[in-house]
Amino acid sequence: MFQISAEPLDAARVMAAVRDPAAGAVVVFTGTTRRTNAGRRVVKLEYEAHERMALTEMRRLAAAAKRRWRLRKVAMVHRIGVVPVGEPSVVIAVSAGHRDEAFLAGRWLIDRLKEIVPIWKKEHYRGGAVWIGAQQGGPPRRRAIYPARRGR
Amino acid sequence: MKTLQIEVCFFAALRERLGERTMRAVPRGTTLAALWRALAAEAPGLERLPVRFAVRERYVEPSYVLRAGDSVAIFPPVSGGA
Repeated sequence: MFQISAEPLDAARVMAAVRDPAAGAVVVFTGTTRRTNAGRRVVKLEYEAHERMALTEMRRLAAAAKRRWRLRKVAMVHRIGVVPVGEPSVVIAVSAGHRDEAFLAGRWLIDRLKEIVPIWKKEHYRGGAVWIGAQQGGPPRRRAIYPARRGR
Repeated sequence: MKTLQIEVCFFAALRERLGERTMRAVPRGTTLAALWRALAAEAPGLERLPVRFAVRERYVEPSYVLRAGDSVAIFPPVSGGA
């Protein structure tokens, strides 16, 4: 399951999507919008995506994770539009035969999503709003994005 | 010199500054980096923003040379997740 959704995310549904009789472990990560960021009180969050490309990149990440670790299934969903504070903006579920692979892959997938998948967050404060990431200076970081080998 | 018609889409902070999309005529041989320099010159401060490029919905390097019919997307740094 790979989705960009304007509706509230249901972690149980994402978890169900990776159910597999060969999986001894299911790891679910939910990223939840925070009330404060860098000391500022956030009143509202908003996400925007290049939807088709975001889905393509999420599928590529899942495929790369499956090359790297022995996994059963991967599901990734991200919310767009206004997200009230405290609600999940992203849910990632990974099933694997054993927990080590599931934990490692889940961690890797959320880290790569935040670096690669074309989604942007806008934080609204009292009296202003900021696109997160857009205020940075300097060139974008370069790194190997899709390592093909399994293991670390 | 022959020119190419290129569609450019912007997202997030760039969309708010430059609009959702624009059509540009560029000389054959133009790179994405050169296209971006021209676009960024239209709005103060944008040339310092690190950006990433996608053509036909795949990330490409700034050295990519534009081709007829290319649809370009220009992104500010991504910030998905929570």
